[in-house]
Amino acid sequence: MPVSVDDRCLRLTGEGGDAGVLLGMRCSGCGVVVFGPATFCQSCTAPDLAEVELGAAGVLYSYTIVRVPPAGWPGAVPYVLGEVELPEGPHVLAEVIDCEHGDLTIGMPVSLALQAVAMDGGAETERVVYKWRPA
Amino acid sequence: MTQFRAGREVMVVGVGLHPFGRFPEQSLSDLARDAVVEALRDSGIPWSAIPIAYFGHVYYHGMSVGETTLAQLGLTGVPIINVENACSSGSTAFWQAYWGITSGVFDAALAFGAEKVPGGPVTVTAENSPARYIGGDHMMAGYALRMTRYMSETGAPASALAQVTVKARQNAALNPYAHRKETYSVEDVLNSRLIADPLTLYQCCPTSEGAAAAVLCAADALDSFGVDRSRAIRIAAASLTSGSYNGRGSDHSAFSPYRTEPAGLQAYEMAGIGPEDVDIVQVHDAATIGELQQVEALHLLPYGEAWQATMEGRTSLTGDIPVNTDGGLLAMGHPFGASGIRMVHETVTQLRGEAGARQVDNPRVGVAQCSGAGDVTTVHILTK
Ligand SMILES: [Zn+2]
Repeated sequence: MPVSVDDRCLRLTGEGGDAGVLLGMRCSGCGVVVFGPATFCQSCTAPDLAEVELGAAGVLYSYTIVRVPPAGWPGAVPYVLGEVELPEGPHVLAEVIDCEHGDLTIGMPVSLALQAVAMDGGAETERVVYKWRPA
Repeated sequence: MTQFRAGREVMVVGVGLHPFGRFPEQSLSDLARDAVVEALRDSGIPWSAIPIAYFGHVYYHGMSVGETTLAQLGLTGVPIINVENACSSGSTAFWQAYWGITSGVFDAALAFGAEKVPGGPVTVTAENSPARYIGGDHMMAGYALRMTRYMSETGAPASALAQVTVKARQNAALNPYAHRKETYSVEDVLNSRLIADPLTLYQCCPTSEGAAAAVLCAADALDSFGVDRSRAIRIAAASLTSGSYNGRGSDHSAFSPYRTEPAGLQAYEMAGIGPEDVDIVQVHDAATIGELQQVEALHLLPYGEAWQATMEGRTSLTGDIPVNTDGGLLAMGHPFGASGIRMVHETVTQLRGEAGARQVDNPRVGVAQCSGAGDVTTVHILTK
């Protein structure tokens, strides 16, 4: 059974670990939507937030090709790290896959991609991670 | 919103540094002790007369390192506070020392910081954080994302960013305390290996070891402590802000004014001066792009123009707005707990006219800005 890297950010919607939706919280006070969990509104501090499903498409706000990864990085090197702007407002930082480095441009459309990732090769550490790929 | 209730005037009366670099033979406490002893000697106030001390550090070296460090100087029973506020831990310790005195509670204080930062990319989250699967917890990758935006929005060429390092190394070559003293050309900087495009190795501050200390004293208590008034430097403002919501969460924008601007504006208001009055500047240049962003957010140069000013030499020692006169994080290195107080050390040294070969021509107002994870910003304004 696939496990989400963080079920407050990514809800898996199938058994195969290849379908899922990003989650956020919307403030009933000011309307701000944040990516991932929040108990109180990050913007206005109100306590009334409701979970929302975020769209699977966004645009690339910025990017970098990481050549020296952080300790414990379980993926290939180099990898592309992208900050993606969602129509609902929040920005989501994640790896951009299936993309030639030379094709990266600010503003390019991207869509959600899910990949299983294991730490140190251990199967019990495998998690389904949200990533981006060119749309 | 912060209410300023500054009371008594507070002065920096002593500063000390342990050189920045790598010192495998020395413990954190040894580094810190050396900086403290130098600051106390510089102030003329003995440790036995100091009523409170604040110690900034981040990495774990056992509990109560502030206490074990100062125990080497003798156990006097005064309160010793350990402060952790990421890369701004040292400047936060200094900020607390200021407020402890201006409020009237203490007549003097010691603020010091030290760090032995391990090599390799710096991460912010705990080891078991899901962030480790995402690949975004990487300090320099964050700067690279900002740099991509900045270059795209302003048209700044890579050579302009590289010039920030070239200048930092030129300043550090005149500073015996610096971790990196070799000078580089723009080509050297651009040809060093890529860490996270477009950021090359020489555009990232070294992780370092080192310590810094400052002794603060109420202006109305200088005589009772026997302090030399002619070398005392006034603290005109001390502000500290943590993150406010930017409307989108993860944010690596070209300018990010929400991060540094509020603390800067508070400091100018508190000091009763404007950016046009500033003669020298120390900012948080963990990467080249950081220097440009901080200088702009402090309104010392218009948004989007710091890269041009850098290329024109305006931020060098002989320019109209010298920035990071001691080499900054880029060349001094960045021992987290020490860096914020190192900036105070350099500002005081310049305002005293004691900076030797890197002395700026007669500065009267200096700004020291230090950032930390959690979008912490400290801004201190010192005046002659
Ligand atoms: Zn709200």
